[in-house]
Amino acid sequence: MATADSAAVFDTAFLSKLEQLYLLAKKLFRGEHRAERRSRQTGSSLEFADYRNYVGGDDLRTIDWNAYGRLDRLFIKLFEQEQDLHIYLLVDASASMRWSPAKLRQACRIAASLAYIGLVNLDRVNVHWFGADLGEDMGLTRGKSQFHKVLQFLREPPELAGTTRLLETCRAFTKQARRRGLVYLLSDFFDPAGCEEALSLLRFAQFEVHLIQVLDPRELDPTDTGDLRLREDESGATMDLTADESLLRLYRQEVRAFLDKLAAFSVERGIGHLQTSTETPFEDLVLKVLRNGVLLR
Amino acid sequence: MTFFNPWAFGFAGLVPVIVALYLLKVRRRPVAISTLMFWQRVLQENQRRALFQRLRQWLSLLLHLLIFALVMLALTRPTIDHAVHEGSSTVLILDTRARMQASEADGVTRMEKAVNAALTYARQAGPFRQMAVQTSSGHAGVRQGFSGDEKALRESIQACAASDAGGDLQPALRLAGDLLASRAGEKKIVVFSDRAEALAQPAALPIQTVTVGTARDNIAILRFASRALPASPETFEILAEVANFSAQPWTGNLEVSLNGRLLDVRPFTLAAGERKSSVFSTVVEKPGVGKLIAHLAASDDALPLDNVAYALLPREPIRKVLLVTAGNWFLEKLLAADVRLRFELLAPDAYQPAMAANFDAVILDDQPAAALPESGNFLYLKQSPFATGGPALEQPIVTDADSQHPALRLASLEHVSFARAVEMAIPREPGAWKFEAPLRFGDQPLLIAGERGSTSSPQVGSTGSPQVGSTSSTQRVAALAFGLTDSDLPLRVAFPLLMANTIHWLAGGGGAGAADNETMRQSDNERNGFHEHRAADGSSRWMAVNTFDEGESDLRLAKSEAAAAGAVGAPRVVLGGWPLWPWLALAAAVLFTGEWWLFHRRQTE
Repeated sequence: MATADSAAVFDTAFLSKLEQLYLLAKKLFRGEHRAERRSRQTGSSLEFADYRNYVGGDDLRTIDWNAYGRLDRLFIKLFEQEQDLHIYLLVDASASMRWSPAKLRQACRIAASLAYIGLVNLDRVNVHWFGADLGEDMGLTRGKSQFHKVLQFLREPPELAGTTRLLETCRAFTKQARRRGLVYLLSDFFDPAGCEEALSLLRFAQFEVHLIQVLDPRELDPTDTGDLRLREDESGATMDLTADESLLRLYRQEVRAFLDKLAAFSVERGIGHLQTSTETPFEDLVLKVLRNGVLLR
Repeated sequence: MTFFNPWAFGFAGLVPVIVALYLLKVRRRPVAISTLMFWQRVLQENQRRALFQRLRQWLSLLLHLLIFALVMLALTRPTIDHAVHEGSSTVLILDTRARMQASEADGVTRMEKAVNAALTYARQAGPFRQMAVQTSSGHAGVRQGFSGDEKALRESIQACAASDAGGDLQPALRLAGDLLASRAGEKKIVVFSDRAEALAQPAALPIQTVTVGTARDNIAILRFASRALPASPETFEILAEVANFSAQPWTGNLEVSLNGRLLDVRPFTLAAGERKSSVFSTVVEKPGVGKLIAHLAASDDALPLDNVAYALLPREPIRKVLLVTAGNWFLEKLLAADVRLRFELLAPDAYQPAMAANFDAVILDDQPAAALPESGNFLYLKQSPFATGGPALEQPIVTDADSQHPALRLASLEHVSFARAVEMAIPREPGAWKFEAPLRFGDQPLLIAGERGSTSSPQVGSTGSPQVGSTSSTQRVAALAFGLTDSDLPLRVAFPLLMANTIHWLAGGGGAGAADNETMRQSDNERNGFHEHRAADGSSRWMAVNTFDEGESDLRLAKSEAAAAGAVGAPRVVLGGWPLWPWLALAAAVLFTGEWWLFHRRQTE
């Protein structure tokens, strides 16, 4: 559903543009395989990392002879080890995301783009669905050739029942994820329990968290007035009210407060945060907005 | 506060219905949303607003109930009471009939007494005691409309004078009722007359009668008329009737004069309450108007008015008649014998239709006549424009005769035998003609009479005397369905009567012996005497007018009762009301508009 027209979106020209992008990671994560990411491990890359005293058995090629000439002591030059990065894409497939088909479609497209960028850069990418709990995942994949697998996974989002519960989702995710890495949460973050505790949990688990909040304009600025019976798709709960301009104004203030609070929390915690609308053209979103949001380079 | 429609409070029973309708669930529009999270917070964080929302819901209900209450109150037509000074209205009716000319024992006429009595009432006139003045004789008339001006009332009362006419007071009472119908406050009618009469109260209005007369003796001429003798039209006989309306016998002379010349004097001796008639015969040879005046030498009676009577000799002009016949011995002899006619005999071959203009009537004896004439008055015998051409009626008899028709006056045709008659019919489209069949055999007319042209309405001439319409513009035709030789009519007494009546009617008269020149009773506010009535074409006719009313001449019935209090209706203070319903309706409309505006802004839900 969400990626039914992904073939049209991810055309060759767009993919070539995506190949120019690079997912930014503020932290250095320990990888499994050598790749193009800096890691905490020292290795054989060209990037100088540190010195240490020579001990017997060290490779003589790594001795800094210039330092020996000046200091008359043997030091070994350590170089950074470039390794792959684990990128986790957690896509919200709850009823609130399915309420507007454009929301889930936009989230899936962004996830596919991020996955492609990661795959191109030889990172290990996994995609998870989540709703009231953590759903199935795609499995870690590596290499550009696995992009079709990502598309195949995103093409069939599950219909997850229940209200979005980020804390339960993150708790399950931290238990499940073997390696630390980048976590991209693509959701509307409409969790009645709040999302701060869940995000703190991810940070505590040493993940670098990025939030991509996808919203429908109707959620930001509803226009329906009169005698209404509101029905929430996630829980099926209803609410009778008579909406007038003053009530809509209060609603907009409430939504703005929620968004501002999430943004402020993200800034305080060093969490990347990007809010986007379903009306934002997808190409602009990926090539401009995500770059401006310092999620890509 | 007064409620003119208190039953409208019964609509209050609808209030529970309004409340029940209001409490019915509003059909809400379902809207699917992604999350209720924000709405819940909005409502939770805005408890005060929610409370106000509920209050506004009640405000809406209160508005509805208030609007309903205002409409209901408007339907009850409430008024704010306030005191109003309501004046009285009184109509003073002065009896001006002829008997009010009678003198009382003190020498003062009843009319003067009535005027004086009315003046005492008029002195009470004021802004809140308005009065109107009417007179009543032959006709009721308003002399002064409602006014509080005492001077105007006094002048109008003093201008009232007794007429020579009789009549009754009911028309005046009806007029007074009409005048008072639209008046507020106390209403009253005061009648000033010589006696108390049983009067029908118009619209149950109180009537007070102020009587000013006493029983008086009177000798009166009750009838005075003349007529031409049928056997000798130039000879007239005069009838006079004299009555003694007193308790004492009376002896005196009745003098009759013609055109100022004493004609005869007859002594009368009348017992108390007796009346006698006397016939005078005279021959008048001079042309012109014969004015007869009868004068009763009774100088001591109370009402001189009925001591004099006027009459005219009913002389008619000589009528010119053209008889077109091949030979009709009966008809020729009849026309020759009538001194009021001058006829010419003409053979059928010599007759031209244009000749009709030179004669008052043309008789066509069994002569062809296809169409009604454009001008002239015609009598058709046997053949006529009304003949249908159908089979002749064999031995018809008279089954229906209208004795009131001028042509049949005094003529009895029931026993006339007819051998045959022509079938006639009244035209279905008569146009301006008006036809009737006063003599019929079943539904078959034996005589058809018709006329066309209108009589002009009375006008006032330059001399100030009233005029009556002229009949000169009226064209008349008559047709007999039988020939004179086809019946035994010429041998009957009715023959000269029928023919004379018909010819004189055709010639413009109302029929032989008609009442045109008879002495008339006073029915208007004219004075007794001779009156010349001029028609629009300049012709004139004299009429003699007399009172001739026993009720006016019999003065013994007058009776003064105890003097009335002389008070007219008093002004009173009543409760007036300013109607409130327009303001209530306006308030309901304003509230309804406001509620409508609030509803569409969802402020009241």
